[in-house]
Amino acid sequence: MGKPSDLVQGTLDLLILKTVSLEPKHGWAIAKRIQQVSGEVLQVQQGSLYPALHRLEQKAWIKAKWKETETGRQAKFYSLTAAGRGQLEKEAANWSRLSEAINLVVETT
Amino acid sequence: MAWAWRFWLRLQTLFRRDQIVHRLDDEIQFHLDQQISENIAAGMSLEEARYTAQRTFGNPTFLKEKTRDTWGWRWLENLYEDLRYGLRMLCKSPGFTATAVLSLALGIGANTASCSWMDALMLRWLPVRDPQNLVLLHIQSDFSFSYPIVRALAEQRDIFEGVAGFSGWVFNADSRGSIVAVQGTVATGGYYETLGLNPTVGRLLTEEDDQLGAPLVAVISYGYWERQFARDTGVVGHTFRLNGVPVEIVGVSPRGFEGSNVGSIADITMAVAAVPRVDPSSASLVGAGNFWLRVLARPKTGVPIAEAKARLASVWPAIAERTIPADWPADRRKAMADATFEFAAGGTGHTHLREVFWKPLVVLMAVVALVLLIACANVANLLLARATTRQREIAVRLAIGAGRGRILRQLLTESVLLSLIGAIFGIGLAWVSSRFLVAILSSGSMQVVFDLTPNWHVIGFTSTVAIGTGILFGLAPAFQATAAGPSSMLKENAGMSSFRSRLLSSLVSTQVALSLLLVIGAGLFVRTLQNLKNLDPGFKREGVLLVNLEGRRIGVPKDLLDALQSVPGVISASVSTHTPLNGSTWSEPAVPKGQVIPERDNAYFIGAGPGFFETLRTPLLSGREFTERDSANDPAVAVINEAYARRYFPNQNPVGQQLSAFVRGEREDLEIVGLVSNSKLAGLRAAPPPTVYVSYFQLTGNFPTTLDIRASGSLPQVAAAIQKELQPKLPDAPVEVRAFSEQVNAAMVQERMMATLASGFGALALMLACLGLYGLLDYTVARRTKEMGIRMALGARPGRLIRMVVRGAAQLVVLGIALGLPAAWAASQWVKSMLFGLTPADPATIAGSALLLAIAALLAAYVPARRAAKVDPMVALRWE
Repeated sequence: MGKPSDLVQGTLDLLILKTVSLEPKHGWAIAKRIQQVSGEVLQVQQGSLYPALHRLEQKAWIKAKWKETETGRQAKFYSLTAAGRGQLEKEAANWSRLSEAINLVVETT
Repeated sequence: MAWAWRFWLRLQTLFRRDQIVHRLDDEIQFHLDQQISENIAAGMSLEEARYTAQRTFGNPTFLKEKTRDTWGWRWLENLYEDLRYGLRMLCKSPGFTATAVLSLALGIGANTASCSWMDALMLRWLPVRDPQNLVLLHIQSDFSFSYPIVRALAEQRDIFEGVAGFSGWVFNADSRGSIVAVQGTVATGGYYETLGLNPTVGRLLTEEDDQLGAPLVAVISYGYWERQFARDTGVVGHTFRLNGVPVEIVGVSPRGFEGSNVGSIADITMAVAAVPRVDPSSASLVGAGNFWLRVLARPKTGVPIAEAKARLASVWPAIAERTIPADWPADRRKAMADATFEFAAGGTGHTHLREVFWKPLVVLMAVVALVLLIACANVANLLLARATTRQREIAVRLAIGAGRGRILRQLLTESVLLSLIGAIFGIGLAWVSSRFLVAILSSGSMQVVFDLTPNWHVIGFTSTVAIGTGILFGLAPAFQATAAGPSSMLKENAGMSSFRSRLLSSLVSTQVALSLLLVIGAGLFVRTLQNLKNLDPGFKREGVLLVNLEGRRIGVPKDLLDALQSVPGVISASVSTHTPLNGSTWSEPAVPKGQVIPERDNAYFIGAGPGFFETLRTPLLSGREFTERDSANDPAVAVINEAYARRYFPNQNPVGQQLSAFVRGEREDLEIVGLVSNSKLAGLRAAPPPTVYVSYFQLTGNFPTTLDIRASGSLPQVAAAIQKELQPKLPDAPVEVRAFSEQVNAAMVQERMMATLASGFGALALMLACLGLYGLLDYTVARRTKEMGIRMALGARPGRLIRMVVRGAAQLVVLGIALGLPAAWAASQWVKSMLFGLTPADPATIAGSALLLAIAALLAAYVPARRAAKVDPMVALRWE
């Protein structure tokens, strides 16, 4: 495994929306999950998650709730809103179109 | 729904910011703790775990700031920080702050005051329906029309929705046992309908009230209702006495509407048709020959102004035929019938004050704008000087990474803050000074009432001016302060850039030039007032009292005169139709017997009783005064003045000759029995007009009447005694005894206003300029302490150092005067028409002003110069 790739510009939103779409998660768990699922390829600088989370919250695509974790501490859990679901679908569709197009270019010999 | 939620979140981030910031700390702390426990679980030591967690997280302060950015309101947060910092900086140097705020308060206050004047006099809409649609009718410069014309215009329903004729009026109203003069309006029936007003209670006047023989009714203003009737709705149907005649109150006009004459309040309004019954002496006003009503009209909806004018032009000849008096000379009738109506904007009502004060107000606006400029230059000066002391602070901030834009914004916030504080004080100052101005204007017989409460126009103007000036005077110093990079500034003793010192000196020279302009202006206006005061008007105003009988007619006065003679302190008493400068005149055509009497009036007339010239001390040049014997059954006599004699009896003795005249439309032959010297009648500036005096007791019909009394000793005491003597004999109206000198002063009200204001602002400008010069030199001397010390140590005498500093100041002042003189010359040409008895380039005024300025400036320079001379060389050299 080489150096972890930097995130493609603008894809952090998509990753966050996808990650919280299954169940409410707090910031650290979101970072962990992105890392794990991508097989450690996508390394999000953990701190930069927070400006993105707050921006998405301000856009009403995700909403936040303070809840107790298993260890008994208060943490802020983010979950997808209806508007966020729509946005996720749109961005996911965009992404697959883009990656398909890139694949076509790269793989055509 | 999403937008509502977003809006809610935005509000949360604004109003619950502290809590949200706190929660963000918790959130990030939780993240770090989580990462630390994971790292420990992976086998790291606590220390190592913490370090690694922080490294994978990044710079928390930076990230928190970036997160806060996503909440919006960043600009507000910055503004708040800048303001807090700015306030701290201002509090840290109270001397600087006080000087700057004072300068700005004076400048902005003066501007606010004159703006509220401009607003009240010129710009404020009447509180009526769609004031922008109202037009004021006039023919050339003539805004007055007769009652029959207004009534005929009101019938033109396909041109106008409504036509209202009105004029100011004074009613003598019974009030709790005494009689009080109350300002009011008489108006045609369409008045309230045209204005589109609704009554507070009862009803307003209609066309039916404006018919001869209609019941006598009046509408009172909201203010009068409040003051006199404590807002009792039972007032409708109440009868009160006006001039002794019972009149029924039918309604109260809406709150805020105080008549259409700007500058005076109309508390009682009656229909024009009622005038002959309330005031029989004014009965002729409803006739065709009196042009006295101002006309406000509302063109029919959908009819463009041009179309309305065209329609009016087509019907006017027929109306003119019916409404122009038949006894007018043919050419005057024709001229009137051929005239075209013009429409002026009427939504702001009407006031003669507008014509009188338009130019002075414009000059005043220019003056206060200059004062503000000087104040701005002062503050810019102070800021520049201060920027030097703040150089290190700014350099440090630049060095640790603040952007230039950020620092510029900070400095501008400070200067705007300063000017806003100045504006707050300025509004207070404006409040006080506006009242002072009203007092000057009301010094005459004319009561001037203005609502000068700052409104949105004025507040908007003031804040624009404040922010504008804040940026204006803040920009140059701010750019200056941040221009050089941090490195050069951080070096010790970088000193002041030559650009900055040049900017400082040119600001001071500009101030000197501007204040010279204002001082010269003040000199010109003060000398104009003096010239008018010292002028010989042809009579002696001191010691003369006047009683204006207005409504009370000819015939009465003979007994009154006898009664007056017995009042202690009265030297002589007489009676006349007019008095010099009383604001109205009477003219008739009169020529030597045998010549053709012209159609146009060619002489001023005054009806005067026995002893009139003696009472006013108008010198009798030959012949005699009027006496008791010149009464109705005696041969008609006249006294003429020199101007009349020179024109119609050149190189002859006029006494004993005959005059032919039309007096009130009747042809009369008069024998000239006396010749008196000229008197100023209509205004102090105009040359005395040719005047014919006729015997008061030989006049027939109704004339205005004034009792003229010369008294000795204390005038107020004699006035009180006269009032006591006359009031029982004249029960219908209040007897007011006024000093003649007040009436003469009222004729100089414009000049007095200009002289007072111009000298006030001139002094202010002078003070500000001196303050600026003082500040500059004080600062320069402080900066050059070391140099002064070295000079002293090398043997320079204190006198030499003083001369050195003063010479520097003198250069700036001379430059300023050289710049100011041509500017003053140009500006004074513009006020030429307002001057009297001197040319705009009056050498004495200009030389005096320049000298005054030079002396004041050198005095201001002397204090810092003394300080320079007192520098102790040892202290100076050890400094730093």
